[in-house]
Amino acid sequence: MNKTFWESKWAKPISAFISIFGFLLIWHIGVNSSSLGELMPGPIDVLSRFVGSFSVNIGQYTILGHALWSLSRVAIAYSVASFAGVICGLAMGRYPKFEAAFRPYFEIIRPIPPIAWIPMAILWFGLGELTKYFLIFLAAFSNVTLNAYTGAISVDPELIGAARMLGASDNQIFRTITIPASVPHIFAGMQISLSSSWATVVAAEMVRSSEGIGWMIVSGMEINNMQQILAGIVAIGLIGYGLATFMRFLERKLLVWNERGA
Amino acid sequence: MNEDISIDSVQKREKSGYIIISLISLVIGIFLWWLFTEGLGTISHKIMPGPIRVFQSFFSKFYVSAPDGATLLQHLGSSLQITLLGYVIGVAIGIPLGIVMAWYPKFDLFARPVFDLLRPIPGIAWIPVMIVLFGIGLLSKGMVVFLSVFVAITINTYTGIQQTKSVHKWVSHTFGASNIYTLFHVAIPTALPMLMTGLRVALGAAWTTIIAAELLASTKGIGFMIQQSRGLFRPDIIIVGMIAIGITGSVLGWLLGLLEKRVLKGRLSKE
Repeated sequence: MNKTFWESKWAKPISAFISIFGFLLIWHIGVNSSSLGELMPGPIDVLSRFVGSFSVNIGQYTILGHALWSLSRVAIAYSVASFAGVICGLAMGRYPKFEAAFRPYFEIIRPIPPIAWIPMAILWFGLGELTKYFLIFLAAFSNVTLNAYTGAISVDPELIGAARMLGASDNQIFRTITIPASVPHIFAGMQISLSSSWATVVAAEMVRSSEGIGWMIVSGMEINNMQQILAGIVAIGLIGYGLATFMRFLERKLLVWNERGA
Repeated sequence: MNEDISIDSVQKREKSGYIIISLISLVIGIFLWWLFTEGLGTISHKIMPGPIRVFQSFFSKFYVSAPDGATLLQHLGSSLQITLLGYVIGVAIGIPLGIVMAWYPKFDLFARPVFDLLRPIPGIAWIPVMIVLFGIGLLSKGMVVFLSVFVAITINTYTGIQQTKSVHKWVSHTFGASNIYTLFHVAIPTALPMLMTGLRVALGAAWTTIIAAELLASTKGIGFMIQQSRGLFRPDIIIVGMIAIGITGSVLGWLLGLLEKRVLKGRLSKE
Protein backbone atom coordinates (compact mmCIF):
# COMPACT_ATOMS: atom_id res chain seq x y z
CA MET A 1 0.00 0.00 0.00
CA ASN A 2 2.78 2.33 1.00
CA LYS A 3 4.74 2.05 -2.19
CA THR A 4 1.73 2.30 -4.46
CA PHE A 5 0.55 5.42 -2.68
CA TRP A 6 3.86 7.26 -3.14
CA GLU A 7 3.88 6.42 -6.80
CA SER A 8 0.22 7.15 -7.51
CA LYS A 9 -0.91 10.37 -9.12
CA TRP A 10 -2.63 11.34 -5.87
CA ALA A 11 0.60 11.57 -3.92
CA LYS A 12 1.38 15.05 -5.11
CA PRO A 13 -1.92 16.89 -4.54
CA ILE A 14 -2.62 15.10 -1.26
CA SER A 15 0.81 15.81 0.21
CA ALA A 16 0.64 19.41 -1.04
CA PHE A 17 -2.71 19.84 0.70
CA ILE A 18 -1.45 18.24 3.91
CA SER A 19 1.71 20.33 3.98
CA ILE A 20 0.05 23.66 3.29
CA PHE A 21 -2.74 22.87 5.72
CA GLY A 22 -0.14 21.85 8.29
CA PHE A 23 1.78 25.07 7.74
CA LEU A 24 -1.36 27.15 8.28
CA LEU A 25 -2.33 25.05 11.29
CA ILE A 26 1.07 25.56 12.96
CA TRP A 27 0.81 29.28 12.22
CA HIS A 28 -2.72 29.37 13.66
CA ILE A 29 -1.81 27.45 16.83
CA GLY A 30 1.43 29.38 17.30
CA VAL A 31 -0.37 32.70 17.12
CA ASN A 32 -3.31 31.74 19.28
CA SER A 33 -1.50 29.97 22.08
CA SER A 34 1.46 32.25 22.72
CA SER A 35 2.34 35.89 23.18
CA LEU A 36 3.26 36.01 19.49
CA GLY A 37 -0.45 36.63 18.88
CA GLU A 38 -0.12 40.18 20.14
CA LEU A 39 2.09 41.05 17.16
CA MET A 40 1.14 38.53 14.57
CA PRO A 41 -2.36 37.86 13.20
CA GLY A 42 -3.32 34.28 12.39
CA PRO A 43 -3.86 32.88 8.89
CA ILE A 44 -7.65 33.22 9.10
CA ASP A 45 -7.38 36.92 9.96
CA VAL A 46 -4.95 37.52 7.12
CA LEU A 47 -7.01 35.65 4.54
CA SER A 48 -10.26 37.31 5.56
CA ARG A 49 -8.51 40.66 5.48
CA PHE A 50 -7.12 39.84 2.03
CA VAL A 51 -10.55 38.91 0.69
CA GLY A 52 -12.20 41.82 2.49
CA SER A 53 -9.81 44.37 1.03
CA PHE A 54 -11.28 43.69 -2.41
CA SER A 55 -14.37 45.61 -1.31
CA VAL A 56 -13.04 47.89 1.47
CA ASN A 57 -10.70 50.76 0.59
CA ILE A 58 -7.20 50.91 2.02
CA GLY A 59 -6.16 54.52 1.60
CA GLN A 60 -7.71 55.66 -1.67
CA TYR A 61 -8.23 52.35 -3.43
CA THR A 62 -9.16 48.73 -2.84
CA ILE A 63 -6.41 46.15 -3.01
CA LEU A 64 -7.28 45.60 -6.65
CA GLY A 65 -6.76 49.29 -7.36
CA HIS A 66 -3.35 49.26 -5.67
CA ALA A 67 -2.33 46.16 -7.59
CA LEU A 68 -3.41 47.78 -10.86
CA TRP A 69 -1.39 50.90 -10.04
CA SER A 70 1.74 48.85 -9.45
CA LEU A 71 1.13 46.67 -12.49
CA SER A 72 0.56 49.65 -14.78
CA ARG A 73 3.86 51.16 -13.65
CA VAL A 74 5.65 47.90 -14.39
CA ALA A 75 3.86 47.50 -17.73
CA ILE A 76 4.87 50.92 -19.03
CA ALA A 77 8.48 51.03 -17.87
CA TYR A 78 9.11 47.36 -18.52
CA SER A 79 7.93 47.55 -22.13
CA VAL A 80 10.10 50.59 -22.83
CA ALA A 81 13.10 48.96 -21.13
CA SER A 82 12.66 45.66 -22.98
CA PHE A 83 12.37 47.43 -26.31
CA ALA A 84 15.43 49.62 -25.67
CA GLY A 85 17.35 46.71 -24.19
CA VAL A 86 16.76 44.41 -27.15
CA ILE A 87 17.83 47.10 -29.60
CA CYS A 88 20.88 48.03 -27.54
CA GLY A 89 21.95 44.44 -26.99
CA LEU A 90 21.56 43.45 -30.64
CA ALA A 91 23.36 46.62 -31.76
CA MET A 92 26.21 45.79 -29.39
CA GLY A 93 26.42 42.35 -30.92
CA ARG A 94 26.23 43.67 -34.47
CA TYR A 95 28.60 46.66 -34.29
CA PRO A 96 31.74 46.04 -32.22
CA LYS A 97 32.54 49.76 -32.28
CA PHE A 98 29.22 50.59 -30.69
CA GLU A 99 29.88 47.92 -28.10
CA ALA A 100 33.32 49.41 -27.37
CA ALA A 101 31.82 52.85 -26.85
CA PHE A 102 28.82 51.74 -24.84
CA ARG A 103 30.30 48.97 -22.73
CA PRO A 104 32.21 51.08 -20.15
CA TYR A 105 29.03 52.90 -19.11
CA PHE A 106 27.17 49.65 -18.97
CA GLU A 107 29.83 48.09 -16.75
CA ILE A 108 29.83 51.09 -14.43
CA ILE A 109 26.07 51.20 -14.00
CA ARG A 110 25.34 47.46 -13.89
CA PRO A 111 26.79 46.61 -10.45
CA ILE A 112 24.68 49.30 -8.76
CA PRO A 113 21.34 47.78 -7.73
CA PRO A 114 18.35 49.74 -9.10
CA ILE A 115 17.14 50.30 -5.55
CA ALA A 116 20.27 52.34 -4.79
CA TRP A 117 19.08 54.81 -7.44
CA ILE A 118 15.95 55.68 -5.47
CA PRO A 119 17.32 58.79 -3.67
CA MET A 120 18.94 60.14 -6.85
CA ALA A 121 15.83 59.44 -8.91
CA ILE A 122 13.66 61.29 -6.42
CA LEU A 123 16.02 64.25 -6.54
CA TRP A 124 15.94 64.30 -10.33
CA PHE A 125 12.34 63.44 -11.12
CA GLY A 126 10.46 64.37 -7.96
CA LEU A 127 7.98 62.14 -6.22
CA GLY A 128 5.79 61.41 -9.24
CA GLU A 129 5.42 58.59 -11.68
CA LEU A 130 8.59 59.37 -13.62
CA THR A 131 10.76 58.26 -10.70
CA LYS A 132 9.13 54.85 -10.60
CA TYR A 133 9.37 54.44 -14.37
CA PHE A 134 13.03 55.33 -14.22
CA LEU A 135 13.75 52.77 -11.49
CA ILE A 136 11.84 49.96 -13.21
CA PHE A 137 13.57 50.84 -16.46
CA LEU A 138 16.94 50.44 -14.75
CA ALA A 139 15.90 47.14 -13.22
CA ALA A 140 14.81 45.68 -16.55
CA PHE A 141 17.16 47.30 -19.05
CA SER A 142 20.53 45.80 -18.13
CA ASN A 143 19.31 42.20 -17.98
CA VAL A 144 17.53 42.40 -21.32
CA THR A 145 20.51 44.13 -22.94
CA LEU A 146 23.00 41.64 -21.61
CA ASN A 147 20.94 38.66 -22.71
CA ALA A 148 20.24 40.08 -26.17
CA TYR A 149 23.96 40.74 -26.55
CA THR A 150 24.88 37.22 -25.39
CA GLY A 151 22.32 35.83 -27.81
CA ALA A 152 23.68 37.86 -30.68
CA ILE A 153 27.32 36.84 -30.20
CA SER A 154 26.75 33.20 -29.34
CA VAL A 155 25.09 32.23 -32.61
CA ASP A 156 26.41 28.94 -33.97
CA PRO A 157 29.40 30.03 -36.11
CA GLU A 158 28.72 27.18 -38.54
CA LEU A 159 25.38 28.70 -39.46
CA ILE A 160 27.00 32.06 -40.13
CA GLY A 161 29.81 30.41 -42.09
CA ALA A 162 27.33 28.48 -44.21
CA ALA A 163 25.30 31.60 -44.93
CA ARG A 164 28.41 33.57 -45.81
CA MET A 165 29.60 30.81 -48.11
CA LEU A 166 26.27 30.98 -49.92
CA GLY A 167 26.84 34.68 -50.47
CA ALA A 168 24.73 36.31 -47.77
CA SER A 169 25.67 39.84 -46.80
CA ASP A 170 26.35 40.86 -43.21
CA ASN A 171 22.96 42.51 -42.99
CA GLN A 172 21.18 39.44 -44.31
CA ILE A 173 23.02 37.23 -41.84
CA PHE A 174 22.04 39.55 -39.01
CA ARG A 175 18.37 39.69 -40.04
CA THR A 176 17.80 36.06 -40.88
CA ILE A 177 20.19 34.23 -38.55
CA THR A 178 21.37 36.32 -35.63
CA ILE A 179 18.03 37.82 -34.61
CA PRO A 180 16.01 34.59 -34.66
CA ALA A 181 18.82 32.72 -32.93
CA SER A 182 19.01 35.22 -30.09
CA VAL A 183 15.27 35.20 -29.34
CA PRO A 184 15.51 32.46 -26.67
CA HIS A 185 18.22 34.43 -24.87
CA ILE A 186 16.15 37.59 -25.09
CA PHE A 187 13.20 35.77 -23.60
CA ALA A 188 15.32 34.49 -20.74
CA GLY A 189 16.46 38.04 -20.05
CA MET A 190 12.92 39.34 -20.18
CA GLN A 191 11.77 36.75 -17.65
CA ILE A 192 14.46 37.70 -15.14
CA SER A 193 13.76 41.38 -15.79
CA LEU A 194 10.06 41.02 -15.16
CA SER A 195 10.54 39.57 -11.71
CA SER A 196 13.19 42.13 -10.79
CA SER A 197 10.89 44.90 -12.12
CA TRP A 198 8.18 43.63 -9.83
CA ALA A 199 10.48 43.63 -6.81
CA THR A 200 11.72 47.11 -7.74
CA VAL A 201 8.28 48.66 -8.08
CA VAL A 202 7.40 47.32 -4.64
CA ALA A 203 10.59 48.82 -3.20
CA ALA A 204 10.08 52.17 -4.95
CA GLU A 205 6.52 52.40 -3.70
CA MET A 206 7.65 51.53 -0.22
CA VAL A 207 10.14 54.38 -0.12
CA ARG A 208 7.88 57.09 -1.53
CA SER A 209 4.40 56.76 -2.95
CA SER A 210 0.75 57.33 -2.21
CA GLU A 211 -0.68 54.27 -3.90
CA GLY A 212 0.32 50.79 -5.05
CA ILE A 213 0.97 47.49 -3.33
CA GLY A 214 4.30 48.68 -1.91
CA TRP A 215 2.55 51.67 -0.35
CA MET A 216 -0.05 49.33 1.10
CA ILE A 217 2.46 47.28 3.08
CA VAL A 218 4.52 50.25 4.19
CA SER A 219 1.46 52.16 5.41
CA GLY A 220 0.47 49.00 7.26
CA MET A 221 3.87 49.20 8.93
CA GLU A 222 3.36 52.84 9.88
CA ILE A 223 0.01 52.22 11.56
CA ASN A 224 1.23 48.91 13.02
CA ASN A 225 -1.42 46.95 11.14
CA MET A 226 0.10 43.56 10.54
CA GLN A 227 -3.00 42.25 8.77
CA GLN A 228 -2.71 44.90 6.11
CA ILE A 229 1.00 44.13 5.60
CA LEU A 230 0.43 40.41 5.30
CA ALA A 231 -2.57 40.86 2.99
CA GLY A 232 -0.31 43.01 0.80
CA ILE A 233 2.40 40.36 0.85
CA VAL A 234 -0.12 37.73 -0.23
CA ALA A 235 -1.04 39.96 -3.17
CA ILE A 236 2.64 40.57 -4.04
CA GLY A 237 3.34 36.85 -4.01
CA LEU A 238 0.27 36.00 -6.09
CA ILE A 239 1.04 38.65 -8.71
CA GLY A 240 4.72 37.70 -8.82
CA TYR A 241 3.73 34.09 -9.36
CA GLY A 242 1.16 35.10 -11.98
CA LEU A 243 3.68 37.17 -13.93
CA ALA A 244 6.25 34.35 -13.96
CA THR A 245 3.63 31.84 -15.08
CA PHE A 246 2.44 34.21 -17.79
CA MET A 247 5.98 34.60 -19.15
CA ARG A 248 6.49 30.82 -19.19
CA PHE A 249 3.17 30.43 -21.01
CA LEU A 250 4.20 33.04 -23.59
CA GLU A 251 7.52 31.32 -24.07
CA ARG A 252 5.85 27.97 -24.61
CA LYS A 253 3.48 29.46 -27.17
CA LEU A 254 5.94 31.66 -29.04
CA LEU A 255 9.11 29.59 -28.86
CA VAL A 256 7.76 26.14 -29.56
CA TRP A 257 11.00 25.12 -31.24
CA ASN A 258 13.15 26.00 -28.27
CA GLU A 259 11.81 25.16 -24.87
CA ARG A 260 14.41 25.65 -22.19
CA GLY A 261 14.77 23.21 -19.38
CA ALA A 262 11.83 21.10 -20.51
CA MET B 1 50.23 27.71 -37.76
CA ASN B 2 51.52 30.86 -39.35
CA GLU B 3 48.03 31.82 -40.39
CA ASP B 4 46.81 31.34 -36.84
CA ILE B 5 49.38 33.74 -35.52
CA SER B 6 48.55 36.36 -38.11
CA ILE B 7 44.81 36.09 -37.39
CA ASP B 8 45.63 36.33 -33.72
CA SER B 9 47.67 39.48 -34.15
CA VAL B 10 44.96 41.07 -36.31
CA GLN B 11 42.43 40.34 -33.59
CA LYS B 12 44.78 41.80 -31.02
CA ARG B 13 45.17 44.95 -33.04
CA GLU B 14 41.41 45.23 -33.42
CA LYS B 15 40.98 44.68 -29.72
CA SER B 16 43.41 47.43 -28.78
CA GLY B 17 41.55 49.67 -31.24
CA TYR B 18 38.33 48.95 -29.37
CA ILE B 19 39.94 49.76 -26.04
CA ILE B 20 40.89 53.15 -27.47
CA ILE B 21 37.27 53.68 -28.55
CA SER B 22 36.11 52.77 -25.03
CA LEU B 23 38.57 55.20 -23.49
CA ILE B 24 37.59 58.01 -25.85
CA SER B 25 33.92 57.40 -25.13
CA LEU B 26 34.53 57.51 -21.37
CA VAL B 27 36.60 60.69 -21.63
CA ILE B 28 33.89 62.36 -23.73
CA GLY B 29 31.24 61.29 -21.25
CA ILE B 30 33.12 62.66 -18.26
CA PHE B 31 33.93 65.85 -20.15
CA LEU B 32 30.25 66.40 -21.01
CA TRP B 33 29.32 65.70 -17.40
CA TRP B 34 31.89 68.29 -16.26
CA LEU B 35 30.88 70.79 -18.96
CA PHE B 36 27.20 70.89 -18.06
CA THR B 37 27.74 70.92 -14.31
CA GLU B 38 30.96 72.63 -13.28
CA GLY B 39 32.05 74.06 -16.63
CA LEU B 40 28.99 76.03 -17.73
CA GLY B 41 26.92 75.68 -14.59
CA THR B 42 23.81 74.69 -16.58
CA ILE B 43 22.75 72.20 -13.95
CA SER B 44 22.80 73.20 -10.30
CA HIS B 45 25.04 71.15 -8.03
CA LYS B 46 21.97 70.61 -5.86
CA ILE B 47 20.58 68.44 -8.68
CA MET B 48 23.67 66.95 -10.25
CA PRO B 49 27.14 67.64 -8.88
CA GLY B 50 30.10 67.69 -11.23
CA PRO B 51 32.80 65.04 -11.41
CA ILE B 52 35.38 67.09 -9.46
CA ARG B 53 32.96 67.67 -6.61
CA VAL B 54 32.04 63.99 -6.47
CA PHE B 55 35.70 63.03 -6.52
CA GLN B 56 36.48 65.37 -3.63
CA SER B 57 33.47 64.19 -1.63
CA PHE B 58 34.49 60.59 -2.19
CA PHE B 59 37.86 61.09 -0.55
CA SER B 60 36.73 63.46 2.17
CA LYS B 61 33.94 61.02 3.11
CA PHE B 62 36.59 58.61 4.36
CA TYR B 63 37.32 60.87 7.35
CA VAL B 64 34.44 63.39 7.48
CA SER B 65 31.32 62.18 9.25
CA ALA B 66 29.12 65.17 8.32
CA PRO B 67 26.36 65.46 7.20
CA ASP B 68 24.94 62.06 8.15
CA GLY B 69 26.88 61.17 11.27
CA ALA B 70 29.42 58.58 10.15
CA THR B 71 32.23 58.12 7.68
CA LEU B 72 31.91 56.05 4.55
CA LEU B 73 33.77 53.11 6.02
CA GLN B 74 31.64 53.09 9.17
CA HIS B 75 28.48 53.00 7.05
CA LEU B 76 29.90 50.31 4.80
CA GLY B 77 31.05 48.29 7.78
CA SER B 78 27.60 48.38 9.34
CA SER B 79 25.91 47.30 6.10
CA LEU B 80 28.45 44.57 5.41
CA GLN B 81 28.18 43.17 8.90
CA ILE B 82 24.43 42.65 8.62
CA THR B 83 24.69 41.36 5.06
CA LEU B 84 27.29 38.75 5.96
CA LEU B 85 25.41 37.69 9.07
CA GLY B 86 22.18 37.09 7.13
CA TYR B 87 24.11 35.53 4.26
CA VAL B 88 26.00 33.01 6.37
CA ILE B 89 22.88 31.88 8.22
CA GLY B 90 20.91 31.71 4.96
CA VAL B 91 23.62 29.57 3.36
CA ALA B 92 23.94 27.35 6.42
CA ILE B 93 20.21 26.57 6.36
CA GLY B 94 19.53 26.79 2.63
CA ILE B 95 22.14 24.29 1.38
CA PRO B 96 21.16 21.40 3.68
CA LEU B 97 17.46 22.05 3.06
CA GLY B 98 17.95 22.10 -0.71
CA ILE B 99 19.96 18.87 -0.55
CA VAL B 100 17.45 17.05 1.65
CA MET B 101 14.51 18.25 -0.44
CA ALA B 102 16.10 17.06 -3.66
CA TRP B 103 17.45 13.76 -2.31
CA TYR B 104 14.43 12.49 -0.37
CA PRO B 105 11.34 12.58 -2.62
CA LYS B 106 8.96 11.95 0.26
CA PHE B 107 10.28 14.94 2.15
CA ASP B 108 10.14 16.93 -1.07
CA LEU B 109 6.43 16.19 -1.52
CA PHE B 110 5.68 17.90 1.78
CA ALA B 111 8.32 20.64 1.90
CA ARG B 112 8.03 21.85 -1.68
CA PRO B 113 4.44 23.21 -1.58
CA VAL B 114 5.15 25.44 1.43
CA PHE B 115 8.41 26.54 -0.13
CA ASP B 116 6.70 27.34 -3.45
CA LEU B 117 4.14 29.34 -1.53
CA LEU B 118 6.80 31.65 -0.06
CA ARG B 119 9.14 31.72 -3.05
CA PRO B 120 7.50 34.36 -5.30
CA ILE B 121 7.57 36.97 -2.53
CA PRO B 122 10.61 39.22 -3.02
CA GLY B 123 12.79 39.62 0.07
CA ILE B 124 12.13 43.35 0.07
CA ALA B 125 8.43 42.81 0.78
CA TRP B 126 9.27 41.23 4.15
CA ILE B 127 10.87 44.45 5.41
CA PRO B 128 7.68 45.91 6.97
CA VAL B 129 6.84 42.61 8.68
CA MET B 130 10.30 42.34 10.19
CA ILE B 131 10.30 45.97 11.30
CA VAL B 132 6.98 45.54 13.09
CA LEU B 133 8.19 42.32 14.71
CA PHE B 134 11.78 43.21 15.57
CA GLY B 135 12.12 47.00 15.37
CA ILE B 136 14.68 48.71 13.13
CA GLY B 137 17.83 47.18 14.56
CA LEU B 138 20.22 44.52 13.39
CA LEU B 139 17.77 41.66 13.89
CA SER B 140 15.08 42.87 11.49
CA LYS B 141 17.53 43.63 8.70
CA GLY B 142 19.39 40.41 9.28
CA MET B 143 16.11 38.49 8.99
CA VAL B 144 15.20 40.18 5.71
CA VAL B 145 18.64 39.44 4.25
CA PHE B 146 18.40 35.89 5.53
CA LEU B 147 15.05 35.33 3.80
CA SER B 148 16.20 36.56 0.42
CA VAL B 149 19.45 34.55 0.63
CA PHE B 150 17.75 31.42 1.88
CA VAL B 151 15.27 31.23 -1.02
CA ALA B 152 17.92 31.69 -3.73
CA ILE B 153 20.32 29.18 -2.16
CA THR B 154 17.71 26.51 -1.57
CA ILE B 155 16.38 26.67 -5.15
CA ASN B 156 19.82 26.44 -6.70
CA THR B 157 21.00 23.61 -4.46
CA TYR B 158 17.76 21.75 -5.14
CA THR B 159 18.09 22.16 -8.92
CA GLY B 160 21.76 21.16 -8.77
CA ILE B 161 21.11 17.92 -6.89
CA GLN B 162 18.24 17.05 -9.21
CA GLN B 163 20.58 17.32 -12.19
CA THR B 164 22.37 14.15 -11.05
CA LYS B 165 22.01 11.63 -13.85
CA SER B 166 20.07 8.52 -12.91
CA VAL B 167 22.72 6.40 -14.60
CA HIS B 168 25.34 7.72 -12.20
CA LYS B 169 23.12 6.87 -9.25
CA TRP B 170 22.48 3.36 -10.60
CA VAL B 171 26.17 2.75 -11.14
CA SER B 172 26.88 3.87 -7.60
CA HIS B 173 24.15 1.63 -6.17
CA THR B 174 25.20 -1.33 -8.30
CA PHE B 175 28.69 -1.13 -6.86
CA GLY B 176 27.20 -1.34 -3.43
CA ALA B 177 27.30 2.29 -2.32
CA SER B 178 24.75 3.31 0.26
CA ASN B 179 22.26 6.08 -0.36
CA ILE B 180 24.21 8.50 1.83
CA TYR B 181 27.52 7.60 0.17
CA THR B 182 25.96 8.22 -3.25
CA LEU B 183 24.66 11.56 -2.06
CA PHE B 184 28.05 12.76 -0.87
CA HIS B 185 30.21 11.30 -3.62
CA VAL B 186 27.95 11.55 -6.67
CA ALA B 187 25.09 14.01 -6.20
CA ILE B 188 26.78 16.80 -4.26
CA PRO B 189 29.81 17.00 -6.58
CA THR B 190 27.36 17.13 -9.51
CA ALA B 191 25.50 19.96 -7.83
CA LEU B 192 28.57 22.07 -7.00
CA PRO B 193 28.53 24.38 -10.05
CA MET B 194 24.81 25.08 -9.54
CA LEU B 195 25.43 25.59 -5.85
CA MET B 196 28.12 28.16 -6.58
CA THR B 197 25.71 29.96 -8.90
CA GLY B 198 23.25 30.01 -6.03
CA LEU B 199 25.87 31.52 -3.71
CA ARG B 200 26.54 34.24 -6.27
CA VAL B 201 22.88 35.06 -6.95
CA ALA B 202 22.16 35.09 -3.23
CA LEU B 203 25.04 37.47 -2.55
CA GLY B 204 23.64 39.95 -5.08
CA ALA B 205 20.18 39.59 -3.56
CA ALA B 206 21.55 40.09 -0.05
CA TRP B 207 23.38 43.26 -1.00
CA THR B 208 20.33 44.72 -2.77
CA THR B 209 18.04 43.81 0.11
CA ILE B 210 20.18 45.43 2.79
CA ILE B 211 20.27 48.67 0.79
CA ALA B 212 16.48 48.64 0.48
CA ALA B 213 16.05 47.91 4.18
CA GLU B 214 18.35 50.77 5.11
CA LEU B 215 16.61 53.16 2.74
CA LEU B 216 13.35 52.42 4.45
CA ALA B 217 14.19 52.52 8.13
CA SER B 218 17.62 52.70 9.65
CA THR B 219 20.02 54.79 11.66
CA LYS B 220 23.23 53.84 9.89
CA GLY B 221 24.52 51.96 6.89
CA ILE B 222 25.22 52.91 3.33
CA GLY B 223 21.54 52.93 2.32
CA PHE B 224 20.80 55.23 5.24
CA MET B 225 23.61 57.52 4.10
CA ILE B 226 22.21 58.04 0.61
CA GLN B 227 18.66 58.44 1.90
CA GLN B 228 19.78 61.08 4.42
CA SER B 229 21.80 62.91 1.78
CA ARG B 230 18.70 63.21 -0.36
CA GLY B 231 16.89 65.07 2.40
CA LEU B 232 19.93 67.29 2.89
CA PHE B 233 20.28 68.00 -0.85
CA ARG B 234 23.77 66.55 -1.01
CA PRO B 235 23.65 64.60 -4.29
CA ASP B 236 27.45 64.38 -4.28
CA ILE B 237 27.20 62.12 -1.20
CA ILE B 238 24.44 60.10 -2.89
CA ILE B 239 26.70 59.46 -5.87
CA VAL B 240 29.60 58.61 -3.57
CA GLY B 241 27.33 56.12 -1.83
CA MET B 242 26.17 54.61 -5.12
CA ILE B 243 29.78 54.22 -6.26
CA ALA B 244 30.65 52.58 -2.95
CA ILE B 245 27.66 50.24 -3.29
CA GLY B 246 28.68 49.29 -6.83
CA ILE B 247 32.34 48.71 -5.93
CA THR B 248 31.51 46.70 -2.82
CA GLY B 249 29.07 44.53 -4.77
CA SER B 250 31.68 43.88 -7.44
CA VAL B 251 34.41 43.08 -4.88
CA LEU B 252 32.16 40.63 -3.05
CA GLY B 253 31.30 38.97 -6.37
CA TRP B 254 34.97 38.80 -7.26
CA LEU B 255 35.89 37.17 -3.93
CA LEU B 256 33.20 34.59 -4.49
CA GLY B 257 34.59 34.01 -7.99
CA LEU B 258 37.98 33.19 -6.44
CA LEU B 259 36.34 30.69 -4.12
CA GLU B 260 34.44 29.22 -7.05
CA LYS B 261 37.66 28.66 -8.98
CA ARG B 262 39.20 26.81 -6.03
CA VAL B 263 36.14 24.66 -5.38
CA LEU B 264 35.34 23.84 -8.98
CA LYS B 265 38.88 23.03 -10.12
CA GLY B 266 38.31 21.75 -13.64
CA ARG B 267 34.79 20.63 -12.91
CA LEU B 268 33.18 23.13 -15.26
CA SER B 269 35.40 22.18 -18.18
CA LYS B 270 34.46 18.51 -17.84
CA GLU B 271 30.79 19.22 -18.44
